[in-house]
Amino acid sequence: MRPPAWAQFVLWAVAGENQAEFVAGDLHEEFLLLCAAEGRPAGSRWYVRQVLRSATTLLGLRFRSGEAAHLVAAALVAVAMPLLLLDGLWSFVYSHIPLKDGLDRAPGFWAANVVCVCVCAAVCGSLAHSFARAAGVALAAAAGAACALWWSPAAVPWVYAGLVILAAPASSLAVFAWRRSR
Amino acid sequence: VEEIAMKWVKRIAIVIAVLLIVPAVTLLILGHRANAGLAQTTVEINASPDQVWTWLDDGDKLKQWVSWMVDVKYPDPQKTHGLGAKRVWTMKDENNGGALMRIAATFTEYAPPSLMTVQIGDTEGLFTGEASYHLVDLGSGRTRVEVRERAHYSEWFANLMEPLITPQAEKKMAMDAARLKQLVETKAEAR
Repeated sequence: MRPPAWAQFVLWAVAGENQAEFVAGDLHEEFLLLCAAEGRPAGSRWYVRQVLRSATTLLGLRFRSGEAAHLVAAALVAVAMPLLLLDGLWSFVYSHIPLKDGLDRAPGFWAANVVCVCVCAAVCGSLAHSFARAAGVALAAAAGAACALWWSPAAVPWVYAGLVILAAPASSLAVFAWRRSR
Repeated sequence: VEEIAMKWVKRIAIVIAVLLIVPAVTLLILGHRANAGLAQTTVEINASPDQVWTWLDDGDKLKQWVSWMVDVKYPDPQKTHGLGAKRVWTMKDENNGGALMRIAATFTEYAPPSLMTVQIGDTEGLFTGEASYHLVDLGSGRTRVEVRERAHYSEWFANLMEPLITPQAEKKMAMDAARLKQLVETKAEAR
């Protein structure tokens, strides 16, 4: 019996390499006991609650150990910065239209943003050497993308925002998994 | 381990270089095409050329269909129309934090109600260009408006980006022309 996959992923993403294995092991043991006593739904609910409650503490520990600093830097460099730079470039392009234009962007520009984010997040994912780090990089990439979208001066469509926030961690994890399989 | 890491660093460097170099070279090549900087559009309006002309010539009417134009000033009150007349269009640039940008316009061709050519250039010297409006009488109270705008950019980076700027300028121009058609036809019907 396994706990919810997304909760496990969040746990691996927020806990440092040193913590993730122990915490996940302890939670899994408790989860199995609860499942046996009260059923799987109750066990899953408890697992999710525990993960969410301990997320900030684990993240704090990770920051203190210096490990999270790499992740934040990776998110900024790999995802947020290219997105913000591209936004700046598109603003420059639109600003040079002789009779000016609004904040809407051509679909091609959004597509270029998505491709660039995927490539940069994939590069970041390829540098991760453990699942805990790869999960952290993926989470940080999603957070970086969300920050960049927040700061973007353009009129961001929801579809694009969702695509960027999902594509960044997905490509990062996909490259990590591919590298690992080789 | 170091060898593998170096191999990956090289691969990443190649990917980044390709991501930067390929678009830059493509833009450089596209920037040398014959119609670089030229944006044009055509719209057919159910109104006579005289009716359409006033919408091109009157500053207050111009503000209604040219998006992001917030003001039209006449530097020489004695000469507001005709060949050599000057105007200053103030545009709101939302992509530059909502800054107001002034564009000096001088009429170099003025033949109502068929041809108007305006020499334009922003007061900061970022671009110069020419916008011409050609009105063709199609008969039965219909007019074809042909708009052509050619821009030259003084900054090297803006020049490099020209293949991206011009299609967006053309799209904006087509949207403005569609608004002009709607406004002129609405007013013509009201009469």
